[in-house]
Amino acid sequence: MTEKKGRGPRRSDRPAANVAADLKQKRDAFLHTFFRRGAELTDELVHENKRLRDEIAVLEEENAALKTQLASDRAIRDLLEKIEGLEREKSRLLSTVHEHEEITNRFTNRFAEIEQELESFANLYVASFQLHMSLRARAVARNVKELLVQLIGARSLAIYFLDEQEKRLVPITSEGVDLAILPVVKLHDSATSDPVGAILERTVLTGIAHVTEGEITSRPAACVPLQLEDRVVGAIVVYSLLEQKRRFVTVDRELFKLLGAHLGATLVAAHLWTTGDGRLPTPDALRAMCA
Amino acid sequence: MSVPHTCLVVEDSPMMRQLLVLALSRVKNLRVTEADDGVDGLRKLAGGKFDIIITDINMPIMDGLKLVKRVRGDPTHKDVPIIIITTEGSNEDRQRALQLGANAYITKPIQAPQVIAKVKELLKIEAPSG
Repeated sequence: MTEKKGRGPRRSDRPAANVAADLKQKRDAFLHTFFRRGAELTDELVHENKRLRDEIAVLEEENAALKTQLASDRAIRDLLEKIEGLEREKSRLLSTVHEHEEITNRFTNRFAEIEQELESFANLYVASFQLHMSLRARAVARNVKELLVQLIGARSLAIYFLDEQEKRLVPITSEGVDLAILPVVKLHDSATSDPVGAILERTVLTGIAHVTEGEITSRPAACVPLQLEDRVVGAIVVYSLLEQKRRFVTVDRELFKLLGAHLGATLVAAHLWTTGDGRLPTPDALRAMCA
Repeated sequence: MSVPHTCLVVEDSPMMRQLLVLALSRVKNLRVTEADDGVDGLRKLAGGKFDIIITDINMPIMDGLKLVKRVRGDPTHKDVPIIIITTEGSNEDRQRALQLGANAYITKPIQAPQVIAKVKELLKIEAPSG
């Protein structure tokens, strides 16, 4: 083991007081350093603490903001769900409304149809009633003309009856046009240049009514054959309509059918009744005829 | 049951009267009286109270326009609504009738729903909804 040399005097060489002072100085220096370091550390810790507190505060703020946002998101999600629910309800209600509208429309249309049918029935009832109310030829003619004017809206018209022997159609009564100027129409006269006469002839020969479709722009507006049993015995000619009446409607066509089916028989019956001086047939005669 | 409304139909054509009466029978609580012409109409008017008058124009003895004039000149009936129903479709005829005091002008051939609607309107009877 070697001894260290040249390091100054050994401790044992110095006086004790110096050693104590030296130790005290070292202790003080140590303590000073220790407390300074302690103070520095404390400062650092305080700073660090403050920084962390600030960070926590920031994080708490962020957290609070996130919480708020989350709550807001939830509220929005709830609202969106509610909106979806309401949209579904709205769709269901709209669908119900459409269904009800369709039902209402169906009822409205049906109501209009029934109104129209009622009107048709009323007109046909009145026409039938008036047509058969009298067996006097003049009254029958007057009633038919009135029917055509008041119910159909005819301005000018004539009723032609068949002359079987001469094979021609003769006007027997008219309204809105002078009977005297109305032509007699020969049947099977292909040379006729009168368009009204041609339509009249065709109507009687075929038994098919001519009733203008749509707006009436030419004459005659209508020509309706008078049926008696299985024969055509004449025709109603409607030359023109009242100013306010532009076209025929469904009920007019029904009235034409009724008149076409009944007027021939009514006129013939009126003639027989008048020529028979209004005498009733005997029950025996009728029974024999009905048998 | 409310007090029935009363309607006077003045029309020389029995057929048109029948048709109008048939149409007006569809108006609830409406009683209809018929008259053959203007004079008959005035007679019926003098003998009763009417809420509405429907009249033709072209009639014998007294036409519809004279009837309108007479009714409007009569303090008892001057406010009774009058509907003219006629074959005369020109604007001049319409204007003349309205100037004389008619409330409505309907041309023939009539459509029952139109007449019913006008009667209800003038009598302030509520129309069915729909």
